[in-house]
Amino acid sequence: MILFDFDYERADTLEQAVALLARLQGDARALAGGTDLLPGMRMENIRPGLLVSLSGIEPEAPQVLADGSIRIDALTRLATLENSELVRRVVPMLAQSAHVVGGNQIRQMGTLGGNLCQEVRCLHLDQKHDYQFVAPCYKRGGTCCYPFPRNAPEVCWSVYMSDIAPALIALNAQVEILGETGTRRIDVEALFTGNGLKPLALSQAELLRAVLIPAAAPGFTWGFHKSTVRGGLEFGMAVLAVALQLAEDGRTCTDARIVVGAVREGPVRPVAAERSLIGKTLDEERMEQAAADTSRVVNPLPHHGFSKRHLMDNIRVHLRRTLARALQRARDQEAGR
Amino acid sequence: MSELNYVGKSVKRKDGPDKVTGKAVYTQDVRLPNTLIGRILRSPHPHARILRIDTSRARALPGVKAVITVEDTKGIKHGFVETPRYPPDQEVLARGKVVHVGEEIAALAAVDQITAQKALGLIDIEWEILPAVFEPEDAMRPGAPEIHPNHPKAPREFANIGGTTETQWGDIEKGFAESDYVREDRFECQLRTHGYLEPHVTLAHWESDKLNVWTSSMGVFVKRAKLAKVLDLPYSSVRIHKTYVGGTFGGKIDLYSHEYCASRLSMITGRPVQITASREEIFSAYRHAQPLILEIKTGVKKDGTLVAQRIRAINNAGAFRGSGVVVIFLAWGFTMIPYRIPNLKYEGFSVYTNHTVRAPQRGHGAPKVRFAIESQMDMIAEALGIDPITIRMRNAREPGEQLPNGDNTHRGGLAACVALAAEKSDFLAKVGRDRASPPKGTLRRGIGIGASAYMGGTLIYPNGSAVIVKMNDDGSAIVLTGAIDIGQGSETVISQIVAEELSIGMDDVKIISSDTDTTPQDIGAWISGMTYVTGNAARQAAGRAREKLLQVASEKMGAEVENLVLKDKMVYHRLNPELKMSYREVIAASVATHRGDTIIGEGFWRTMRDEPTHPSLATTKGRWTENYAFSAQVAEVEVDIETGEARLVKALTVHDCGFPINPQLVKGQVDGQISMALGHAFMEEVLTKDGYTLNPNWLDYRMPTIHNMAISEDADVITEQYRVGQPYRTKEVGEGLISGILAAMGNAVYDATGVRLYSTPFSAEKILAGLRALEYAAKKVRSASKAPA
Repeated sequence: MILFDFDYERADTLEQAVALLARLQGDARALAGGTDLLPGMRMENIRPGLLVSLSGIEPEAPQVLADGSIRIDALTRLATLENSELVRRVVPMLAQSAHVVGGNQIRQMGTLGGNLCQEVRCLHLDQKHDYQFVAPCYKRGGTCCYPFPRNAPEVCWSVYMSDIAPALIALNAQVEILGETGTRRIDVEALFTGNGLKPLALSQAELLRAVLIPAAAPGFTWGFHKSTVRGGLEFGMAVLAVALQLAEDGRTCTDARIVVGAVREGPVRPVAAERSLIGKTLDEERMEQAAADTSRVVNPLPHHGFSKRHLMDNIRVHLRRTLARALQRARDQEAGR
Repeated sequence: MSELNYVGKSVKRKDGPDKVTGKAVYTQDVRLPNTLIGRILRSPHPHARILRIDTSRARALPGVKAVITVEDTKGIKHGFVETPRYPPDQEVLARGKVVHVGEEIAALAAVDQITAQKALGLIDIEWEILPAVFEPEDAMRPGAPEIHPNHPKAPREFANIGGTTETQWGDIEKGFAESDYVREDRFECQLRTHGYLEPHVTLAHWESDKLNVWTSSMGVFVKRAKLAKVLDLPYSSVRIHKTYVGGTFGGKIDLYSHEYCASRLSMITGRPVQITASREEIFSAYRHAQPLILEIKTGVKKDGTLVAQRIRAINNAGAFRGSGVVVIFLAWGFTMIPYRIPNLKYEGFSVYTNHTVRAPQRGHGAPKVRFAIESQMDMIAEALGIDPITIRMRNAREPGEQLPNGDNTHRGGLAACVALAAEKSDFLAKVGRDRASPPKGTLRRGIGIGASAYMGGTLIYPNGSAVIVKMNDDGSAIVLTGAIDIGQGSETVISQIVAEELSIGMDDVKIISSDTDTTPQDIGAWISGMTYVTGNAARQAAGRAREKLLQVASEKMGAEVENLVLKDKMVYHRLNPELKMSYREVIAASVATHRGDTIIGEGFWRTMRDEPTHPSLATTKGRWTENYAFSAQVAEVEVDIETGEARLVKALTVHDCGFPINPQLVKGQVDGQISMALGHAFMEEVLTKDGYTLNPNWLDYRMPTIHNMAISEDADVITEQYRVGQPYRTKEVGEGLISGILAAMGNAVYDATGVRLYSTPFSAEKILAGLRALEYAAKKVRSASKAPA
């Protein structure tokens, strides 16, 4: 139950929503699926004076544009994403990443934009503060950090746990952002600041309008993995997304994008590990090395009871397997052709 | 007559349709006009003195109808255990100091949730923070922060001892001296919780001289006794009403502060007061299970025969006595039941720490004890070159064995369960296979076995159950029973017994249950005895009604009772089926010719009917039960040796529940326990730091989902039977089966990987660390063997 008073408005258009958000100067929040916002309000980590509901705005169906890229409305429900025939065919990694979010009830409500704009997570933060961890931490505008007491005031080592963001970054996707002055377009990667206190590069009156994913070139292949304890209804220990571009021989890598999610304040790209694959034949040894380098470079934050060492072990093994599966997928497709 | 129509059949649950269609009324569904919302102010500190409480600002807030602190109570203490040795130790609200985070300090009633929340923030408290202690071995050390004074009979060299259990038999030193092989190990378990889906919730309504209470519980008569006591009311002034209950698993037995607070606030305001605990409160302020540390030294002969065992159990009992002193008593029992141990010494310590109070949780210590003993059993077997089945068969209790406490295994026994489990799982063919010849890839299969035993219906308040069966004049029956159906199916089982005894249909039996004013006293659903104790009382009550029916029919039909048979609400003459009477006719005749007797049967039962006393928690002396259930369980697990990720693939449970009155309900218990045990093994842990709970929600406290459930097979070893008109013996089946399988999973992980786990959960991290240690050891051996001579 949310135990404070707030106002509620329903926007008919995204423009109207942006105008309402702008007027309230930070005291208003947009409500899409509510699966992240409402628990945050219940725990009183956020206490907006106004909720601007987007539930009256019908999302456009996913569409393939003239250049072969795909445009997906930010208000698209995760269940729609995972079940859309078009999305599954054109961007299967996105469908896969939507499928592993929460449970079915969450996916029926949660939206693509909401998933990307979710708050960072920390065990000390994600609960009511009636008698536990009462003094606000840095994230809640206070003067302490419970899990890392020696952290400086500007450092919040919470983790950003979207399953979908790593997939979109691997896919080199962009987001269309609507603000008071109109629309701007940035890489999904640029949406994340890496700062746990303010994880998103959005102003108060900005809303995600759509996600654009470029068309896959021939030789494209992908791999995705979410490490969990029970295999569902949970956030990941680590989320791994891999996009590879292979030469005609099917073994030489011409481009690689690797993204690790859920272990830092935002998704992380191990650029050096990516480069170590480009122009090289992808054999076991090279993939193993890239995975090991990644687990080191990513430097995972211990979170949700998992130690740094264990997260590094997990990333190392599962990233190697994810790369190998991507390669295998390319071979299977080749064989199936 | 010997053929049974209802008992032994998987008849449909009585409560099923109402539950699946949402018609079942749970406490939260009960609505009374003008109900106030109650909230509780809880301690933000693990250990602190309360210097001053000022509730005046909260009282002054419009919409707040009452605020109470300990000054508004009668100061009467309560406890899970209330004996001369262990007098009640807990007040309903904190007095002078708090001893755990979330401890109840004050309570208030307001017109709505938002007002109540605001009012809580207006209560001012001045604190003096005290040093706190969280690990039992730290708390035991002299000089540790004193949570409560040592128990007067506890050894002087320790601190914070809430209670001890000590017992021995044989000559432990002689036993070790005579042993061919002795080993000593230490095992630990994580903090787990019950995971009942229905939260704690209480609605109380004071009606000038009667307190009406609806509360989610496991036994209404225990609740009434404790609530009446702390309110200083006669039992007749407190009525606990029936509601459906959405799961308990041991976590809703004792009196909880919110039950008192809702009642007291209703008495003060004259309005109904409802208090519902949030899930966060349940995780961070309510009671969890008890993490035990077990140190076990065991001596055996070369052939694996147990000669001596010394066990030291240390319980992290939390901030009050709770059931902490019970679990250290029970831990002894879970040690001595399954195997013959000629020389044993046991000592258990229940240690206060600044954690929340502890409660029983399904198995009440057994999973931890059996995990430790069964793990060590496998280690001993391996050291001696014996297989896991042989060592268990060599030591397993047989039928008719006398136990050290004077109890008898009767027709039960572990040996038959172990033998059948080994056979059905093809254990000896599978064990050691993947380690002997590792398959390609990173997945390894392992198999393990664990054994357990559990008592049923042990004497504890209110000790006995009574049942009344009233015949309606159409021949159907109303059963009055205090038994509470917490999901285990007691109403279905009782109906089956009554239908069988009276030869009427299941639909002819209607149950009025678990209401302290209208139903007779009952032991409650928390000592694994309801099917045996209340069931036998129901059998006896229905049997008495049947005898009356037969008597009246015999008079009217001019036939000997021996020549009458009952079938489908009719009485027939055995030799002349034309000679018959319907129950309707018999009952009418009874009213007409037996001074208005409408035919009511009464029954009552208790475990060990001729033993007046309880066993001693301190010395273990005194008999326990006549119903020991034995079980052997086999787990097959799969471990990824690169990631350490492990899962239960298949479980086999061979148990002796006497006989199943409803096989499908028994199967439900088996599957539920497998699921709960695999949560214990691989997923669940209440994470705490300095007494604060880090994961007080379903998201971060991971219980298994249906997708984690393994194949669960089971087999009954039938040792008893049911005869109409005869007492019967059923045995525990609802909590003991969570234990052997936990140990079996640990042993199976070892079988798959060579990694021996000394603590639960069997996390990927621990398994990987174990694999690394093995690799390191192997490298050392290799490099040593390469060294020049």
